[in-house]
Amino acid sequence: MDGFISKLQRYSTNDGPGIRTTVFAVGCPLSCLWCANPELIGDAAKFLYHPRRCVGCGACVAKSNGAIRLTEEGLDIDRETADLEECSVVCYYDAYERIGGIATDKELVTGLLRDKAFYDQSGGGVTFSGGDPGMQPEFFYEVATRLRDFEVHTALDTSGYFPWEKLAPLVSAVDLVLYDIKTLNRTLHKRYTGVDNQLILENAMRITDMGKAMTVRMILIPGVNDSDDEIIGRLKFIKKLGNHVKLDLIKYHKLGAGKYASLGMIEMMEGTPECTGDLAEYAANHARNMGIAVSING
Amino acid sequence: MSVFLSFVPENDDCGIDRIGHLQKRMNARIPVICAERAEILTDSFRRTEGESIVMRRAKAFADILDKMTVYIEPDSLIAGNQASVNFAAPIFPEYSFDWVISELDDFENRSGDYFNITDDTKERLKKLESYWQGKTHKDEVLRNLSPVNISAEKQGVLHRGGISMSGDGHIIPNHELVLKIGFGGITEIARKKLSNDGITDEQRDFYEAVIIAMNGALRYCKRLGKCAALCTDSEANEKRKKELLELSEMFRDFMENGARNFFEAVQTVYIVHLLMMIESNGHSFSFGRFDQYILPFYENDINGGKITKEKALEIITHFFIMTNSINKVRPWGHTEYSGGYPLYSALTIGGMKPDGTDGTNDLSYLCLEAMNLSKLPEPNLCVRFWEETPHDFILDSARLIRKGFGMPSVFCDEVCLPAMMTLDIDLETARDYASMGCVEIAIPGKWGHRATGMTYINFAKVFEIVLNNGTDPATGISLPCFAGNTGNNELSAGYESYDDLWNAWKTALKYYFSLAVDCDTVCDRSLKYHDADAFASSMVDDSLERGKTLKNGGAKFDYVSQSNIGMSVVGDSLASVKKLVFEDKAINLHDLKAVLKDNFEGHDGARVRQLCRNAPKFGNDDDYVDNIVAAVFESYLELLPGRKTDRFGHGPVGCGYTMSTSNITSYVPNGFDVGATPDGRLAGKPLNEGASPCLGADRNGPTSVINSVSKLPNKKMAGGQLLNMKFSPGALRGDSNLEKFALFIESGRLKNIFHNQFNIIDSDTLRRAKENPGEYLDLMVRVAGYCALFSTLTPEAQDAIIARTELDW
Repeated sequence: MDGFISKLQRYSTNDGPGIRTTVFAVGCPLSCLWCANPELIGDAAKFLYHPRRCVGCGACVAKSNGAIRLTEEGLDIDRETADLEECSVVCYYDAYERIGGIATDKELVTGLLRDKAFYDQSGGGVTFSGGDPGMQPEFFYEVATRLRDFEVHTALDTSGYFPWEKLAPLVSAVDLVLYDIKTLNRTLHKRYTGVDNQLILENAMRITDMGKAMTVRMILIPGVNDSDDEIIGRLKFIKKLGNHVKLDLIKYHKLGAGKYASLGMIEMMEGTPECTGDLAEYAANHARNMGIAVSING
Repeated sequence: MSVFLSFVPENDDCGIDRIGHLQKRMNARIPVICAERAEILTDSFRRTEGESIVMRRAKAFADILDKMTVYIEPDSLIAGNQASVNFAAPIFPEYSFDWVISELDDFENRSGDYFNITDDTKERLKKLESYWQGKTHKDEVLRNLSPVNISAEKQGVLHRGGISMSGDGHIIPNHELVLKIGFGGITEIARKKLSNDGITDEQRDFYEAVIIAMNGALRYCKRLGKCAALCTDSEANEKRKKELLELSEMFRDFMENGARNFFEAVQTVYIVHLLMMIESNGHSFSFGRFDQYILPFYENDINGGKITKEKALEIITHFFIMTNSINKVRPWGHTEYSGGYPLYSALTIGGMKPDGTDGTNDLSYLCLEAMNLSKLPEPNLCVRFWEETPHDFILDSARLIRKGFGMPSVFCDEVCLPAMMTLDIDLETARDYASMGCVEIAIPGKWGHRATGMTYINFAKVFEIVLNNGTDPATGISLPCFAGNTGNNELSAGYESYDDLWNAWKTALKYYFSLAVDCDTVCDRSLKYHDADAFASSMVDDSLERGKTLKNGGAKFDYVSQSNIGMSVVGDSLASVKKLVFEDKAINLHDLKAVLKDNFEGHDGARVRQLCRNAPKFGNDDDYVDNIVAAVFESYLELLPGRKTDRFGHGPVGCGYTMSTSNITSYVPNGFDVGATPDGRLAGKPLNEGASPCLGADRNGPTSVINSVSKLPNKKMAGGQLLNMKFSPGALRGDSNLEKFALFIESGRLKNIFHNQFNIIDSDTLRRAKENPGEYLDLMVRVAGYCALFSTLTPEAQDAIIARTELDW
């Protein structure tokens, strides 16, 4: 079975317990404006263009039928018409980076097992993230099941925005679910992520009803979801999910911001500041007061 | 925030403020050249013409100790100085002197490892030049080196490093013995041996020299005592006055017998170290298993209520700081190979005891705390981990690593012990190993000079010559063997297959290895004379028993290793050629060589370089290339059996070769000599460091690096296997990440890692430090097997450290 993934990140320490390998799946049903991995939104391969690697040799320009122009400021790429696949082939300086490739379940499992000694020693394992692995439920079900045969702990990092019958088998095949609750406000959710949040909230309850271990990842974005209402509302929801549910506060950061330009996309969150340690600590204190086990950034 | 890693002091016996002052002063130490030793030694040698060398050296040693300046470092509990002022480098004209004279005006202007020197010092040194003309160790080496060896050096394949210019060093004294019987006790042993019937002239000279050296050492200690007494008079501070009085009391009869308490024991370790570094200018004089041999004194004093744990920590910290008052000056050409004023004085803690139980104790923890307080490049703190190492000890080590100055480095018993046992060393003895210098390991008190760092072999240069059918493209030099009798052998015929290329590699490596052994032998024979050191020899078993210096075969165990550089570059390059030329046929060998010659210039060069860069690279857990790199290691290892040093048959066990990748900063200058390589590396760029992947080649993170390195024959690398990893500070922030890091180290141990060391500094900080050295004077980094202040390194070495992959997980 084939899967569509961008990369393996070994020695991940913020995506679940212990030392882990995180698999980044291509494709996501949401398109959050703050996304740190915008290259994984949508379901097709994307190309990053790295101006710092470009020497201006003109090889891609010559092949582009006018879609790419060499200007004083560097390349001007019309992404609508340019064949970036072709560009990435003719560029000898790796200025075009293709995101996403096909891997079979067997290949992926073999690659993931290479770090088994580290998982075993540290109580770690494998995390499926992305993008959203829920876009490829059969593939990741297969991978998770194979890993289970080798007693590797698995975690699924998902938005939960899938019909339950599609998501349920995958959830049952993993040991832990990392679940994003971005906001309880339907309008806000729609505006910032492109989708409604009802299905997401319902699925959260279904997962905990299964008795599955869950860590809710709650992103804190100044000016978007950092009001007391937002924070406390979400904490109450988490509390309602059950006492076994843990909380991981994710501080909004701008490390992925540069990728938007490389993708020819506009970064919509430009004026938004990063989440401060104080804000995270403030939210963490609320969580502790409510008896929720909390961590910050893993 | 606590200034400690985990220690919670219960009293004020450990003076933190004073440690801060001492640390600060030592951190701002100014390197200078000191002429005293050179003058006194030359004067002494003039008077002893015609006597045996061991006697002459012992007499000169005693003369130096009698006449040199002595002083007590202000505030320090530990006393003893190597030269006229703090961090002054004495000169050792007997080993090599021409470069001292020719570089007199350059010392102050070096781009790294500069030295201040006064006009007076210059004049005083110039006056000695005529005496040493033709008499030095280096002169003797150059007289005996064959022309073909010189050619191999011109090609850039072989490098003599320090072995033709300085003493051997690389000694871990038998501290148990010294602490038990003192210099006085050793003198007694020598006396008794002298009275034996039938001793040879060599033995008589040796024992007499030992007595002269030991008496000189005892007189030096008395001078220190008098100096302390003098300081007492002018000291206003009552507490300090009392300390000086205690010092003067202690030094009154210091080392006439064994050490009497913990304080004296630590002081002894420092004095022995210091004296060895006045006698000879080798480096890597190491402290062995400090937490083991000091423990009885510590326990005795603690149990007897004579000392508190806090006071013990203060003493150890002062000792650590004072080891940074010692210095060594090297020729500029050699400095490039070992930047940062390194002395490689390794101090080992933790690990298995000879009886197979765990040796981690209070002192192991206190040494970590002392290093955390002293924050200076010496001693080179090494921890030994194994299955039974307490997790708290690993965590404290990780906390120290997190501080970002590169210490401690980690040795794994489960790998180091089998490596030791590839030599003729039994398990119980092997369990007592300690680091000696960077990553080389030895049995303390039982090992001869120079565990490693004999002749350097630039593997990447050998590969370049192989690829060019026996001729070095840079110099045009082709060594005679490659022409063969018919003018047509595997190197000159061209390569039809990967096997052809691989066989040619093996032929060439074997050839250059033989030349390197010849070079080792020439240097070794000369040092037999020039490094006939009675004091250092009497610190190692069985010199006193046999009546021989170490260089004449006095040691119980005697193994050497050369230093091999660039195995990953060669392995990656072989993998490139194998895949691109012989398998994918993406380019033919002729065209590849043309592109390499042009250093990947032009559009087609860029195309080929992309192919090369995308070929498999060591460090990514890719068996294809990892197995090739492992084969490169094996191709050297298989040359070693049967090779003997000059001391074979003269007493020591072994006298053979093992392998080491402790190549200090030499991977930078060795890179200067090598043109573009098929792994995509540009001409002149650094090679890889030790067994680490090539700069920037490891793209899959630290676990993949460990997995790749685990496939190398680490359990055969008794000379030391160096792995250097660099992490961003964020990766260790917080308790959870610290715990994961500790478990990462543990995983590495289980995965066949010999040694690992860590830089925890982000590359932006390093870049800023390079731009504004004045603001980052105390930034210390792991260089190779040792730590150095970043600001003292050459720009090229700084760049190499910055370029080393930052693993941000």
